[in-house]
Amino acid sequence: MSESRQISVSKKGVPTIAILALGVIFAAGLFVVGFDQGHIFSLVYGEQAFDDLFIHELTHDMRHAAGFPCH
Amino acid sequence: MPLGVNIMKTSLFLVIVLLSGAIAGAVHGGVNLAIVEPYLDTAIGIENQNLFASGEEEDTPEFWIEYDGYRTWQKGGQVLAGVILGISIGALFGIVFALSRQSLPGSNNVKKALILAGIMWLTIYFIPFLKYPANPPTVGDTETVVLRGILYLSFIAISGFGAMGFYKLSKKFERKAKLVSIIGYAAFITAVFLAMPENPDEISVSTNLVEGFRTASVLGVSSFWIVVAIMLGLLWDKLKPEQEITSSR
Ligand SMILES: [Zn+2]
Repeated sequence: MSESRQISVSKKGVPTIAILALGVIFAAGLFVVGFDQGHIFSLVYGEQAFDDLFIHELTHDMRHAAGFPCH
Repeated sequence: MPLGVNIMKTSLFLVIVLLSGAIAGAVHGGVNLAIVEPYLDTAIGIENQNLFASGEEEDTPEFWIEYDGYRTWQKGGQVLAGVILGISIGALFGIVFALSRQSLPGSNNVKKALILAGIMWLTIYFIPFLKYPANPPTVGDTETVVLRGILYLSFIAISGFGAMGFYKLSKKFERKAKLVSIIGYAAFITAVFLAMPENPDEISVSTNLVEGFRTASVLGVSSFWIVVAIMLGLLWDKLKPEQEITSSR
């Protein structure tokens, strides 16, 4: 590997940091669309978020259409 | 260690991966608006009638105002949620594509990406779908949603890691490597398919509605995989996020 560039690189020449970032984006997006029941907004709005289910309603139709379990 | 090492331009790589995911996700949302929403409306209509019949809700103008409000919100969300889901699945696709690009067949990156998308569509979407097919609203029992979520995710993970494992294993058999990995994966996933418990919910609406909904759902998800592969392949060919650095220079 090139010494002058301080980029950690996997065997295939793909920067590890990019893989990590994409991994986090993958997990977060999948959770929001597929499984969130008010958890994300509850970080800001507290318990009320579980009743309002903003994200759930917003992602609801895609959740059914993409085959995630719903109601 | 070869003299020439490919180091990707990190930010360019991230941008083209996320962009292709977002575009494909928007297309997925748009396709769903056109072909899945009619089934959702029908299913939710049945659900409302059940609520009126059981006395949980009353068929009043107030009910319909509230209903129209959140249905508009839900439909509007279809494209936005498509973009979020597209970026998410697109990120996974980008990781696997970057790591496997050199060993994928195909004379350009569009062909390589389409082949990979086909494999991923089959192993982490379509086979799991055959086991746990998509259902329209009113079919699912709220009590079992966590269980169904765990079953569905587990099956996808087992299938995805299984496919990866058999691919790695096949590298040990120089000849017939492809055949070994395909037969191995097929036997493995068949066993898992039979061993995993069924979706516990009973289907209470007409078969026509469920089958129409499922067909539309598969078309929507498939449109995502085709578009994400073409976009990522095109952008990759055009912008070349891998950069040749020759250490002898
Ligand atoms: Zn639902």
